[in-house]
Amino acid sequence: MLLLQLLVNGILLGGLYVLIAQSLNLIFGVMGIVNLAHGGFIVLAGLFTYWFATTSGLSPLFVLPLAFVAMGLAGALIERFLVEPLMLRERRADLASLMLTFGLSFVLVQLALNLWGSDFVSVPYLQSSYRFRGLNFDAALSISGVFAAVISASLYVWLNYTLSGKSLLAASQSPTGALSCGIDVGRVRMVAFGIGVGLAAAAGVLVIVVLALAPQSANDFTLLAFVIIALGGLGNYLGVVAASLLLGLAQSVAGYFWGGNAEYVLPYLLLLLVMVARPQRFRQSP
Amino acid sequence: MRVSRSRLGALGSAVLSILAGGVVFAAASAAHAAGAPIVVGATVSETGPLAADAVFQLKGEALGVAVANAHGGWLGRKVLLKYYDDKSSPGTAVRLYQRLITEDKVNLLLGPYSSLVTIGIAPLINKYKMATIEPGASVPTIYVKGNKWNIQGIASSTTYLKQLLPLAHKAGANKVALVGLESAFTLACLDARVAQAKQLGMKVVYRTTYALPMPDFSPIALAIKNAHPDVVLGCTYYPDAVGIARALHQQGFAPKYFGETVGPVEPAFIKALGPLANRILSNTSWWHNYKTPGNKAFIAAFTKKFGIAPDYHAAVGYSGIEVLGAAVKATHSLNQAKLRAYILSHTVPTIQGPFKVSRYGLMLGASQEMVQIQNGVLKLMTPPSLAEGKVLVPYTGS
Repeated sequence: MLLLQLLVNGILLGGLYVLIAQSLNLIFGVMGIVNLAHGGFIVLAGLFTYWFATTSGLSPLFVLPLAFVAMGLAGALIERFLVEPLMLRERRADLASLMLTFGLSFVLVQLALNLWGSDFVSVPYLQSSYRFRGLNFDAALSISGVFAAVISASLYVWLNYTLSGKSLLAASQSPTGALSCGIDVGRVRMVAFGIGVGLAAAAGVLVIVVLALAPQSANDFTLLAFVIIALGGLGNYLGVVAASLLLGLAQSVAGYFWGGNAEYVLPYLLLLLVMVARPQRFRQSP
Repeated sequence: MRVSRSRLGALGSAVLSILAGGVVFAAASAAHAAGAPIVVGATVSETGPLAADAVFQLKGEALGVAVANAHGGWLGRKVLLKYYDDKSSPGTAVRLYQRLITEDKVNLLLGPYSSLVTIGIAPLINKYKMATIEPGASVPTIYVKGNKWNIQGIASSTTYLKQLLPLAHKAGANKVALVGLESAFTLACLDARVAQAKQLGMKVVYRTTYALPMPDFSPIALAIKNAHPDVVLGCTYYPDAVGIARALHQQGFAPKYFGETVGPVEPAFIKALGPLANRILSNTSWWHNYKTPGNKAFIAAFTKKFGIAPDYHAAVGYSGIEVLGAAVKATHSLNQAKLRAYILSHTVPTIQGPFKVSRYGLMLGASQEMVQIQNGVLKLMTPPSLAEGKVLVPYTGS
């Protein structure tokens, strides 16, 4: 029973990780840039959700579609007017985009600080757990996990079975080849960045009901997401799902048997091990 | 060697001019000093994991300075609080205190929030020999012979939740689970409570530490649940206090007694947890019904200025300014050695009680008392003479 409970806790945590990491992975997979403002988008959406839920008294989940669309549009605009010109102009576009998103992360954190202050906050919502055959299913993580599964499955289906999704994959694999097939690569990148930011916002909405969050938590999420996509294979969507679930599971077991410090250090230890054992994993998948 | 009269005259005139110039300069400097504000420098964790509690300390200090100025300032000069955000980072705090001392050239210093950050700046304080009241550093090992310029402004970390285990033990509870954040204050608190549990003959059935940011407390909560403790005691700050309470509930466990050190006294805690916060025990070194000089005025002024009620972090920040002011006025000086000697040898009345420290600056006056959240409201449980009710058990987690 204990092992089953650890399995449940780990998979639920992994579900949240999928959501946190997949958006960063999408942007990296298509554009080849690591969006260091990723955590900033998560906390901005999370804190907006906190504000919405505490002032309106409504469920924070109402914010989910709004945050996805609004932040997605904002992301598309950022890509079109900030990222894209840089990608076309700079010879070291990867480095320049790192610097740009790094700067953007400061802007987002400062914006959140000015709007909501520096306190850690969370929404008292879904604090109970569902019981099934003696097992506890954390309600907030369960809901997050369901959303993560739906979003990841939708993303996978869209990327692999629709024309627009295939265009996106094509643009990520060979921009020149995609261009020669008549695909508007610039537009595809804008869409990818917008969806990526929209997904990060969706993650933020769900994170605030699971964890206490503050503007300065942004970097923690960026780092965690980067560790997960590095473990899963940069740009590898199914790999990231597997890495998220395995990491959640490993942290659940480590935290139970060896305490909080083991749980905390585990992602970075795993990353180190994978970097040493499988360096080829850190190349963008074709 | 012969010197002509005219040359002597010229030399004399020059010397007189220099002397006269010096007098004018000195007079001008004195006038400037008399008019210039007395600057109290500090850093506070406005951001980072310590921010929720630290901003109350800053508010208390700001109010202390405003009250001092409303009463004519110190030595006839206005008082100014110059502070920076140390982002809850000892490294950042060290750079900022260096700036306060060497570039801003502040007249007086107050310490930052938390033992963690204070330990970082302690060598600097001693290097520059600045008598510094530490309103947020409760770890007693800071206040030793080698750190003689640091003066504790808050009750010792060993007194946090010191009433909980004896209370539970008296009621027949025997098994204790103890968790704590990897931080100077929380580890000192954890060690003190473990020692106390052993002294009482209670069995420590689970003990662990963790670091922030902690993604998920459910493994720790599950381990606590499976250890079947009667008492869960967390040496926490705000974010982990919320996380542990929530995780215990989600794993379907409610111990009979549940206490957390830092976090539950903040309004945000009750807001974040809702009914889960009820019956959680915590501590405070100050309360609104303390019959200390100026306490009522402090509460009224704080509530008016910031629109919220103060907590004990605000009170220790305010008290720090009270003690500095008393020392400056009594010694008629900003001399650091004189200020330190005064603070170490006198008992200064403050809103959190008598401010009395040992020869190495260790707090002897203040102590942590126990509070409990009852129906969404914090109530003082100890000392019996000031208690606002009786401790309600069991913790229901709902």
